[in-house]
Amino acid sequence: MIWEVFARKAYEDPLHHVGTVTESDEDLALVSARSIYDEQPWIHMIIVPREAIREAIKP
Amino acid sequence: MEELAPRTEDEVRAHLAAGKLVEGLQHMSPEYLKGIRRILTVSADTELVSAPAYLRAAAHAPALNNFGSAVSIIQDELAHAHIGYRLLGDLGVDMPALIYEREPNAFKYPYAFDVPLDSWYELVLANALYDQAGFVLLSDVHQSSTFGPWKRALAKVDKEETFHLRHGRTWVKKFAADPDHKVKLQASLDWMFILTLEWFGLPDERKKHGIQLEYGFKGKSNDELRQDWMGHVVPFVEEVGLHVPAHFDEQTQRYVIDCPFPQQFDSEKKAWGGTEISWDDVLVRWKARGPMNETYVARLQKGYRG
Repeated sequence: MIWEVFARKAYEDPLHHVGTVTESDEDLALVSARSIYDEQPWIHMIIVPREAIREAIKP
Repeated sequence: MEELAPRTEDEVRAHLAAGKLVEGLQHMSPEYLKGIRRILTVSADTELVSAPAYLRAAAHAPALNNFGSAVSIIQDELAHAHIGYRLLGDLGVDMPALIYEREPNAFKYPYAFDVPLDSWYELVLANALYDQAGFVLLSDVHQSSTFGPWKRALAKVDKEETFHLRHGRTWVKKFAADPDHKVKLQASLDWMFILTLEWFGLPDERKKHGIQLEYGFKGKSNDELRQDWMGHVVPFVEEVGLHVPAHFDEQTQRYVIDCPFPQQFDSEKKAWGGTEISWDDVLVRWKARGPMNETYVARLQKGYRG
């Protein structure tokens, strides 16, 4: 299962896409996201299952 | 490929001509997909194999905190490899099979990594030369790539490669200031410099870039990238009092290589033979891969195969 990872490093920043992780369950996906995308001192990181995303405007 | 990439070549050209980026399979034609998969594979394989290559050399770190810096560089390289592989996963490639089930000689990375790095001198030179090559190539992709997800992901890579370069240059400067260290550093530089010149591939007269440039997988030709790289490396090594067989020609405003190139190489002795060879001969050496290819790939695949 693919999870999209979003993060931000300052309170005034919006969340932005930083990458994806592929894991079979939520707990593993959370751990993977934190360890793979540890290049910045993030203050906030979320993960979203890719299949939950709907495009309102397509590029 | 046809089922995965629904657009025609003309539709891709029109999409790019309108100044849009390609965001995924839905925007790709079979040719675009084939090309972007190839360049992503080369990029990810190069980052991945640098990990065992650097780890081997890191064992020679003069102190524990220096070993820590090397390991942190290796961790970055693995994360960069992950970017390439996860994007390939989105392009219909079986990611675990690509990483863990390929034969060693099917990996597509520069021949330089097949030659072992056997000292701290060679590790820091690799940071100063190989990471500079990676930086030149990826900056070009970052600037010119028409594949949006990769272009955006490379912002992070650019930043981290700067740290690897600084690590390499700081140590090179430090070693070059000491006569004993300098001799050893120069000996390693002698084989590593020419090997990195090869990194950029066949010269433009031998290589047709057509679709690579037209579809914006990259922005510059092999020879232009080789020039860029020399523009960073040659002034730096001269500044610290080391010597490389290349100089800047004022008249043509280009770097000129002052030794037979391409040249016959003894990978066991890590020494250049002095004899000029053809690019066909180089292709034979590249295809046969070098001494560390199987060892490094086996190390990367070890956990998976159990």
